Amino acid sequence: MKKNDILIWVFVGAAVVVGGVAVWLIDGSGDSGSGLGDEFTYDVSEYGKTDAKLVMYQELPERFDTGMKACKAIAVSGKKIYVAGDNMIRVVGGKDIKLSGMPRCLAVGEGGKVFVGVDGHVEVYSGAGKQIGVWDSGGEKALFTSIAVYEDNIFVADAGRRVVVRYDLEGNVVNEIGRKDEKRNISGFVIPSPYFDLAVASDGLLRVVNPGEHRIEAYTFDGDLEFSWGEPGIKIEGFCGCCNPVNFAILGDGSFVTVEKGLVRVKLYDEDGKFSGVVAGVDALVPGGVAKACAFPADCQSGGFDVAVDSDGKIYVLDTRSGVVRYFVRKIEPLINTN
Amino acid sequence: MKDNMSRRRFLRECCWGGALGAVGLAAGFAASKAAGKDFVWQIDPFKCISCGNCATYCVLEESAVKCVHKHAMCGYCKLCTGYYEPEPVALDTAAENQLCPTGAIGRKYVEHPYYKYSIDEKLCNGCAKCVKGCSAFGNGSLFLQVRHDRCLNCNECSIAVACPSVAFVRVGVDKPYLIKGQAH
Repeated sequence: MKKNDILIWVFVGAAVVVGGVAVWLIDGSGDSGSGLGDEFTYDVSEYGKTDAKLVMYQELPERFDTGMKACKAIAVSGKKIYVAGDNMIRVVGGKDIKLSGMPRCLAVGEGGKVFVGVDGHVEVYSGAGKQIGVWDSGGEKALFTSIAVYEDNIFVADAGRRVVVRYDLEGNVVNEIGRKDEKRNISGFVIPSPYFDLAVASDGLLRVVNPGEHRIEAYTFDGDLEFSWGEPGIKIEGFCGCCNPVNFAILGDGSFVTVEKGLVRVKLYDEDGKFSGVVAGVDALVPGGVAKACAFPADCQSGGFDVAVDSDGKIYVLDTRSGVVRYFVRKIEPLINTN
Repeated sequence: MKDNMSRRRFLRECCWGGALGAVGLAAGFAASKAAGKDFVWQIDPFKCISCGNCATYCVLEESAVKCVHKHAMCGYCKLCTGYYEPEPVALDTAAENQLCPTGAIGRKYVEHPYYKYSIDEKLCNGCAKCVKGCSAFGNGSLFLQVRHDRCLNCNECSIAVACPSVAFVRVGVDKPYLIKGQAH
């Protein structure tokens, strides 16, 4: 065999080997990923990790399974826990209440009277679960996402019309709060998604989340803006994403328990809005401890957990993804001071 | 009984048979061609996991998959998580703050505090990075679609084969896009 023939055979052999390897490396099924560089990858998993030193609460082992397909809101009054969802209110330690539609928010007043927001109107039920009132609709655009009861006032957060409506106990509108008004230095509520929460603090001022501005604003009942606190930020001190917090509750000492969506985390701020610590981070709240935002679009928007507190300082987190109520109790004093 | 098949009759019947066969073949061919054109590839946005495969598995040099934006679902957020890096230095249009590696998303002031975001399809490669950011924190108004002005509508779409969530589906040509109806 001539030298040239040998070379040709070597080249042919090499070509066959290279071709074979190339075919073997070609991924037609997508199993090896997109092949895109890091600059094309969206990764927020680092932000889902919580510094253990910041975690001030521990979860109790027991949980309450609501048995609901879609649970929306939680309230606690005395020893009773109320969970709204699936066209009903499930009362732990009481009798369930059937509703005319899907509830989004609820509050419990004196004598166990229950005020429920169903789409754009309020329904009122007695402590025994009997319907005793259906208030006039807030209009076609109305979407009630939060209710608070304080003395003779019922405050309703209307995400559809981006305003807080103050009612009396009979369901008459007293006034509206938070509408854009430059003369009163009110910029208006920015509500990109249907999460808009409120509560009345022990100082007698109404606290309302302005989610698109990442802050909690304090109003008098007449609608004067007094002050606000909160900053955007994906780091633990801030409110992440486009619009957070989605829900909050106020503890007996005046501190705030906030819930965020996107990176689902429950945190604690003092009464002046300074970050105190973490109740539960993404790694504790998301199944499997997966610290990533979400996979399927439907998962992304199901992270609007709700929160309630009782007079003992126990925190009740309604996990809307798995339909369970989770309980958290204080384990340590704050370890950090962000001053 | 004897069948007297003449040559003329034989040829005439052969011609008829041939003509009918040709008509049948033509009709079948037309029907199959029409059937192929009745359906096109599209992405079901509710199944898409924004894996990035659409950017690299298309047979075209520049993928036929682009990000689209349903403005009716958008919150017009000042801090858009589909536009900004998770930790932007400032909420401006500086490249360092933008999430899109190709700068394919435009940001325009509307009124305080609202901003309008739009996709420049010439720059979009369908990587879905913005889709993931929007879906994770926002309303999911950014999502991927096959753009039919450039898709070759291959019989076996290579992206469909590589799609890990089986989000690629055949849809009728009369409704070639799967646009999200409302906030999910």
